[in-house]
Amino acid sequence: MNRKSSALAWGLLFPTLAVLALFVLYPAAQSFWLSFQDVEPFSKRSFFVGFENYQVLFNSPDYWQTVRVTLFFLLYTVIPSLVISLTVAVLLDANPFFQNMFRTLFLLPVAISSSMAAMLWIFIYNPTAGFLNYALDVLGIHGPNWLADPDWALVAVAVATVWKEIGFNIIFFLAGLTSIPLELKEAAELDGANSWQVFRYVTLPLLSPTLFFVSVVSVINSLQSFGQIHILTTGGPMGETTTLVYNLYRDAFVKFRTGLASSEAVILFGLILLATMVQFRMAKKRVHYG
Amino acid sequence: MASVEIDRVKKQFGDIEVLKEVSLSIRSGEFVVLVGPSGCGKSTLLRMVAGLELPSAGNIAIDSQDVTTMAPKLRGVAMVFQNYALYPHMTVRDNLKFGLELAKVDKKEIGRRVNEAAEVLGLSAHLDKKPGQLSGGQKQRVAMGRAMVRQPKVFLFDEPLSNLDAQLRVKMRTEISHLHRRLSATSIYVTHDQVEAMTLADRIAVMYQGKLEQVGSPLELYQNPKTKFVASFIGTPSMNFLQGELLQSLKGNVQASSAGVRPEHTFLANTGQGECVFLGKGQIVLVEPLGSLAYIHVRIHDHYLVSELKSDRFPHAGETVEFMITIL
Ligand SMILES: Nc1ncnc2c1ncn2[C@@H]1O[C@H](COP(=O)(O)OP(=O)(O)OP(=O)(O)O)[C@@H](O)[C@H]1O
Ligand SMILES: [Mg+2]
Repeated sequence: MNRKSSALAWGLLFPTLAVLALFVLYPAAQSFWLSFQDVEPFSKRSFFVGFENYQVLFNSPDYWQTVRVTLFFLLYTVIPSLVISLTVAVLLDANPFFQNMFRTLFLLPVAISSSMAAMLWIFIYNPTAGFLNYALDVLGIHGPNWLADPDWALVAVAVATVWKEIGFNIIFFLAGLTSIPLELKEAAELDGANSWQVFRYVTLPLLSPTLFFVSVVSVINSLQSFGQIHILTTGGPMGETTTLVYNLYRDAFVKFRTGLASSEAVILFGLILLATMVQFRMAKKRVHYG
Repeated sequence: MASVEIDRVKKQFGDIEVLKEVSLSIRSGEFVVLVGPSGCGKSTLLRMVAGLELPSAGNIAIDSQDVTTMAPKLRGVAMVFQNYALYPHMTVRDNLKFGLELAKVDKKEIGRRVNEAAEVLGLSAHLDKKPGQLSGGQKQRVAMGRAMVRQPKVFLFDEPLSNLDAQLRVKMRTEISHLHRRLSATSIYVTHDQVEAMTLADRIAVMYQGKLEQVGSPLELYQNPKTKFVASFIGTPSMNFLQGELLQSLKGNVQASSAGVRPEHTFLANTGQGECVFLGKGQIVLVEPLGSLAYIHVRIHDHYLVSELKSDRFPHAGETVEFMITIL
């Protein structure tokens, strides 16, 4: 690239870079800096404490509990949401007739604001008047108080999260599936593959870039879930739905422990980075870019 | 090797009748080429033989066994697609092996067949490459190889050479011809290319608007076309159809409402051999020289005519010349 066009490139990038710097890079750097400080509530006074915030966190069983909750939440949301949305997308792709109707149906939850969606689930999960326990009653099962039962609360929040996210994933999977030439599937069929084998040996490998992208985004979304937890359970019962993000929010904006919350943010950032790197590493061999 | 019997097959997509009662018997080992204008239903017919499309009516039998509704993989057919349809995520070797592995063919046998096909097609050096790293001609060969290794009863080709440049097309055409002679497998081959059809076919089937117009050997179709469509479709440049004054000038030699003259049966006055008839005086509109011969577009009495002349000196556009035609 010559000097002139490189100047032009920087010029064109400048607005984006400026916005990113102001709203992403600067706060991130500030968080990093604050994570080594003890900040007094309601004042601007703070002093350097080194790794003390991190030490407090690592020595706190409550914090380890939020790590455990976060990992289970990850497990309960990402895998079901990938499996369900991929299955639905494959079925819709094979039956174009249903596509338009169902695409709208599945995309609807994505369009609803997350607080609206959470309110909806509060009604569904209500132990006495809720639809879910009514349905179970009809089947002769006595349902628990979903959002207040320590054994069920995390699952209940995960279900609401998956419900809201699959529409987004389905759109991506459908786009990926549509871009696979029909001829390839026909060639595989002529080569003797049954429909499972066509899926396993042709469709899935060719969908791998989409699958990779969707899983990375799903993991990040799951690790950053906040709204539905805040409305459905506020982290309870007994901290069973307090994830890293929710704990961070409480430390920062309820307890005003800015320094501690900042180190939690740094840890969360590290965790997301690690998860993404692991995914990239795993993808290296298995993702085929056409 | 197997015979293919297409018996009164029809195909409708919604309300549109794409194929109207097509019947065609293909002998074991025969090479049949389907030609016809775009949209006449060639691919559809081929895909029904493959099992990728169900006929709306009629039957298809391979080797005397009714396969009309049989799954593609049970038919023993292999197809070479226009865009090759190679699996982009697999190496050439895996592309070739895929069908054999699914059929649970013995490992040693797979290796043997893959190597043999690679040798015959000149792909041995490329077995570990992915399709994206191959040239068009090489991809074409892999597609052929993938069909070959399965040792199918019937080969189906849907315009397999149409994505290649002219030179490569000629080369691959010759190779297909050699391969067919070697394997003598029953083949159905769809093409737009006249020369491919004429050189490869034992018999050519000309299709037009969902019907078979005529089936016969290349020379038969060329010399004795049964319909005006076949007459105009077979042969490049197309046959001239004489009208008005031009038809009058033939009076006494032909009794017909219309007469067709192949471009190579027209001559400049005084250069024709054999029995000739004077056609008329006309002005040359365009000369397309092709080396040893040229296509001359002339206007005679407001009718346009194409003539193929063999000479080392061609007339120029704008000249006025006299034309003769030979009567066979
Ligand atoms: N799946 C389909 N649904 C509806 N119409 C179709 C379908 N497949 C083919 N057709 C129609 O059937 C007709 C014949 O198509 P076909 O592909 O057999 O033509 P073709 O002779 O192979 O043409 P070409 O030489 O351009 O490949 C066309 O008018 C096409 O639009
Ligand atoms: Mg076609």
